[in-house]
Amino acid sequence: MVTVKINGKEITVEDNTLILDAARDAGYEIPTFCYQADLMGIGSCRMCLVEIEGQKKLQPSCVTPVLHGMSINTDSGTVQTARAGVLEFLLANHAMDCPVCDKGGECELQDMVHKHGPHKGRHAEPKFKFHDKDYVLSPVIIKNSNRCVQCMKCVRVCREVVGQNVLGALGRGDHQEPTSFFRAFMNCEMDGNCIEVCPVGCFMRLPYRYKSRPWDLKSSDTICPYCATGCRMVIEERAGTLMRAKAQLGVGLNSETLCARGRFGQDFVNNPERINQPLVRRYGKLEPVTWEEAISHIKENLTALDGDKIGGIASPRLTNEELYLFQKLMREVLGSPNIDSSSRFSPDAVEGFVAATGMGEGGVSVYDCMEADTVLIIGTHLSDENPVIDYIVRRISASRRMNVIIASPRAMKLDSSANIVLRHNVASENAVLTSLVIGLNEGKLADTLKGMHEAQLDANLKASGVSADLISTVVNRLAASSSIAIIAGTDFLRYPEGISGLGLLKDLLKSRGKKVTVMPVLDRANQRGAWEMGVHPGFGPGYSETRKGLGTEGMLDAAMKGELEALYVVGSDVASMYPGDDFARTALSKVGFLIVQDMFMTETARQAHVVLPGAAHAEKDGTYTNQEGRAQVIKKLLTAPGRAKQDINIIRAIGESFDRSFGPKHFALVLDEIRKEVPSYADVSLSFNNKRNTDNKLDNRGALVKAAAAPAVKVKSFNPASVETSGARFILTTGNHLFHSGRSSMKSETLLGLLKGAVVEISEEDAASLGLKSGEKVRVKGANFEAQMTLLTKKGTKSGVAFIAENFDDAPVNRYFRRGGGIPRVDIIKTI
Amino acid sequence: MEKVLLKNLGKPGSHTLANYVASGGYKAFSTALKMKPDNIIQMVKDSGLRGRGGAGFSTGLKWSFIPKDPTLQKYLCCNADEGEPGTFKDRGIIDHDPHLLIEGMAISCYAIGASKSYIYIRGEFVFGAERLQEAIDEAYANGYLGKNIQGSGFDLDMYVHRGFGAYICGEETALLESIEGYRAQPRKKPPFPALAGLYGKPTVINNVETLSCIPAIVEKGPEWFSKMGPVKSPGPKIYCVSGHVKKPGLYELPMGTTARDIIYNHCGGMLRDGKPLKAFIPGGVSAPLLMPADLDTPLDFDSLAAKGTMLGSGAVIVMDTSTCMVKTAYIINRFFSHESCGKCTPCRDGTPWLTRILKRIEHGEGRPGDLELLDGVCDNIFGRTFCPLGDGAVMALRGALKNFREEFQYHIDHKRCMVS
Ligand SMILES: Cc1cc2nc3c(=O)[nH]c(=O)nc-3n(C[C@H](O)[C@H](O)[C@H](O)COP(=O)(O)O)c2cc1C
Ligand code: SF4
Ligand code: SF4
Ligand code: SF4
Ligand code: SF4
Ligand code: FES
Repeated sequence: MVTVKINGKEITVEDNTLILDAARDAGYEIPTFCYQADLMGIGSCRMCLVEIEGQKKLQPSCVTPVLHGMSINTDSGTVQTARAGVLEFLLANHAMDCPVCDKGGECELQDMVHKHGPHKGRHAEPKFKFHDKDYVLSPVIIKNSNRCVQCMKCVRVCREVVGQNVLGALGRGDHQEPTSFFRAFMNCEMDGNCIEVCPVGCFMRLPYRYKSRPWDLKSSDTICPYCATGCRMVIEERAGTLMRAKAQLGVGLNSETLCARGRFGQDFVNNPERINQPLVRRYGKLEPVTWEEAISHIKENLTALDGDKIGGIASPRLTNEELYLFQKLMREVLGSPNIDSSSRFSPDAVEGFVAATGMGEGGVSVYDCMEADTVLIIGTHLSDENPVIDYIVRRISASRRMNVIIASPRAMKLDSSANIVLRHNVASENAVLTSLVIGLNEGKLADTLKGMHEAQLDANLKASGVSADLISTVVNRLAASSSIAIIAGTDFLRYPEGISGLGLLKDLLKSRGKKVTVMPVLDRANQRGAWEMGVHPGFGPGYSETRKGLGTEGMLDAAMKGELEALYVVGSDVASMYPGDDFARTALSKVGFLIVQDMFMTETARQAHVVLPGAAHAEKDGTYTNQEGRAQVIKKLLTAPGRAKQDINIIRAIGESFDRSFGPKHFALVLDEIRKEVPSYADVSLSFNNKRNTDNKLDNRGALVKAAAAPAVKVKSFNPASVETSGARFILTTGNHLFHSGRSSMKSETLLGLLKGAVVEISEEDAASLGLKSGEKVRVKGANFEAQMTLLTKKGTKSGVAFIAENFDDAPVNRYFRRGGGIPRVDIIKTI
Repeated sequence: MEKVLLKNLGKPGSHTLANYVASGGYKAFSTALKMKPDNIIQMVKDSGLRGRGGAGFSTGLKWSFIPKDPTLQKYLCCNADEGEPGTFKDRGIIDHDPHLLIEGMAISCYAIGASKSYIYIRGEFVFGAERLQEAIDEAYANGYLGKNIQGSGFDLDMYVHRGFGAYICGEETALLESIEGYRAQPRKKPPFPALAGLYGKPTVINNVETLSCIPAIVEKGPEWFSKMGPVKSPGPKIYCVSGHVKKPGLYELPMGTTARDIIYNHCGGMLRDGKPLKAFIPGGVSAPLLMPADLDTPLDFDSLAAKGTMLGSGAVIVMDTSTCMVKTAYIINRFFSHESCGKCTPCRDGTPWLTRILKRIEHGEGRPGDLELLDGVCDNIFGRTFCPLGDGAVMALRGALKNFREEFQYHIDHKRCMVS
């Protein structure tokens, strides 16, 4: 600790604290342009100069650490003159076209000049101009360099955080222009973090161009509805249209960053295809009805049904309050134990995964994971699935230099931040983890067992396709680490065999006295919340014991046999996501009474007897629990279109039609009930969302849920996944595309503008050996389905692996899969 | 005085290894290889050698900051960017006596424990780069570079890295960025290169002339060196004289030779009769100019600093009374704004502003208040830039404004030059 004087006020801070931070702690804000808490300091704009007693020159406070006994003045006359001087320089060549600049009204340069600036400029010379017209850099970015203050935040965020590294500067001196390679159109991550960090109107959003002024926007502070990273964002509307989403520095675990989905995908809310009235099937046709008619129709059809013959599937994008009420309706009112939140993952896999990742033990912060000596990322293509976690790992590993180990069949952007990359076979997570377990046990096994353990190791190495050398390097790093974080993704749910390996490794490391943190990474915003609210056939709210029921698969089986009399589906497109498309469709057609509640006319909704128009996240209040177990608040900004309603109100209306006291009546009261019924949620508070962390410590650990009382979940062992035996060359695997999330994002005009048609990704080597080039049209041919799509090649992906994301309507990947079948094989053929 | 740095200049074939060895070359390296590295560092410290690249920092002291940890990769980078207008000394050594530099570098690398070294040579010096490469190839072929040099166990590789055409590439941390393949812009210090330099490893950066002094120090001893010139900045110094003198060129003289001695004795006096000295720049265009009254100032680091100017690179630019100071100031300032790297605001946006004003004044479009404006802009740049380039621009301009203010005023008032 060192003690310094700032503007005469004595303050004690940690060693190496920057003067800027120390001053803020003492209550003095220093203006900055190039400083950004999450980027490496460059000290170039000179806006933050301060006076240090005994030093001739003013010093940049954003890169200068305090020294014991320093006496600093942050606001002396000299400092003020220097600031005004810097601003005068920045304005010298500045375009000053505020009236036509999208940034006007929220521009840091405007604010800064207003506060610190010379109110009269002396520059009366011709200005240098980079270009006349704004130029388009990508489908979402448009640029005007004449407004640049050269803080390089755009370049730095792209390099240091996003890791895409497609921005740099052209030219020198006042001709220096931060932009893409010779201003070329970019094929990048499209996350627009460069736009977000830009303090002025240089990097601008193309979709928002000339659409509004900041003061005409109404906003709400909410959570991204796509993946389960749980990024905080502000969404803004004008005249009932959602205009944009943005992130805020120092707020939420994501701080100023978002991925493309989060920043540009919120416009699905405005989609004109939204269902805006309840519909009931009459004489084979869905016809508009009033809410009263719809609800009484539902009541009529559900009354007197055997609860065991009713099923309910609710989307993991609903709020905790909605999900809680949904399972309450199913279990308590309709008497049904058949509840699920997924059409993709089996309830057993979910239970095993919940147990192996220790979700019942309470929330885990991603920032705690980043404190570990070693971070092992497995079972996820993190860079595409949870982009903001990819950013966090990249940023923190660059300065902390902990071991980062990535195990994945597919190459990913984050590989460049990893010390070791294990390119294993598809669905061989278990073999990788078991090899590590055996490796860590080396020498500890009795001699008699030795032969067997070698045989086992060989078998596992063979199954994973990873070399013994790599495994032993990883083993050595794990053995040498005293704390280990494991980031485990949804491939464990796709290929559940890995769950037992995950459980074993975790236990073994713990038994060696190491601190082990496991963080699940999930792909649906409130997936963890859905489980914790008990939307699962095997456990109730808070992972409590409950009467076991059927999951999606069981329900469809029952339907097929004509044994499912009613099914209530909320926000889930079972027909489009379930393996072997036709099975789900046929099964759904045999359900006696199908209620579908959704925003859009999905495949599933088309088959319904009753369609209920639900609401988007932007139209609701409630809470989401992200993958870390962080309960965060979402806030209503808009009203659902037409007669559409918040899902919580629809669920409640159905419940009330059976039992007038069904409730509670308000989302906040539902949360109160959750707090009582689910002990791990006892401390969840609606104010968690609204805390701004002024110290830039991004992590609000108070929002993490606590451990469940007695989680009724067990790590299970599963049979190895089988692979189809056809002679086809590629093993097909799936997940989410960087620009999409499930099928919801397919309703976002902007995201569709980034990528609409399906792509299949294989390694560069495989493509070369097939004589194929990236960007070419190919046919992907499986045993039961084939479709045309665009080929994308990736350097470093395992040979023999083909990836098609689950998002595309034109090539529904579920059709390649067969219900109960093995992992499909496909061939890729050039289209002629 | 017996020449040390330019002794081989003008001799036919001076650049070949054979001739260099014949004139006693590489003996110092052999001697050094038998010494303890620390003793060489001590020797260089004792010699009092100060960096010839501009800042005049003690070379031995700089070397001693390099961590002794033998497992760390260390680098030596020779700064041969020679971008300061008026400077052409490094080029003289490179073109005519490349082995002197290579030997100096080899000894330095041995002293600091560097097994890899780079010569960052100004991009325009195509001939020099080729010549250096030939010399390096010769040195490898004859066992002065490469593995296990002369059976000592010391390995050394040397690379020529051609520069990227900007003055800022000569600033030592920008130079490192440039070698690493980035845009040449200065890095923030600390960390200093001695701890985290090239590729984040301990690195020494020295000027060509500095490194070329090393063989002689090893051969003749630190005392011989420290006795030459002023106590606090001893040794031989190459002065690059240009401008209105009879015999411009490179002059190797003891440090601290006076301007009068250089101009009127060594360079044969002013170029034209009837055009006496108006002003001279003692150390490259960043250095504020001096007046005829200052002719007896010894040209060494401390004496010039005392006069508010600097020795810099040792480029002496001599101007007679036919010189227009407004035009001179304009051209010098234009150089700086053109060469500003763009990193920091005051230099990036301030120096071009100065240039625009100076250009107007020079072209007869000066306005009342321009001089005060120049002063004001200078005040907002000076001391607030990231690296010394911006300060250099201001110091040069302030020097001209201070001594020739009426000439600037005349330009503004009469819309024409006072001199021509
Ligand atoms: C803008 C700028 C340009 C420079 N250009 C050169 C150069 O061309 N050659 C050089 O040797 N040093 C140059 N320097 C000085 C170097 O930064 C550094 O101080 C020097 O190379 C150290 O070597 P020395 O200790 O041997 O002098 C420059 C410095 C600045 C600020
Ligand atoms: S959108 Fe992202 S990847 Fe593209 S240039 Fe901006 S920061 Fe880089
Ligand atoms: S474009 Fe924006 S973020 Fe990038 S340097 Fe310019 S002002 Fe900064
Ligand atoms: S999709 Fe996931 S990573 Fe992207 S902004 Fe939304 S929550 Fe964050
Ligand atoms: S003073 Fe600033 S802009 Fe000028 S060269 Fe140095 S770092 Fe670059
Ligand atoms: S904020 Fe410190 S120099 Fe830019």
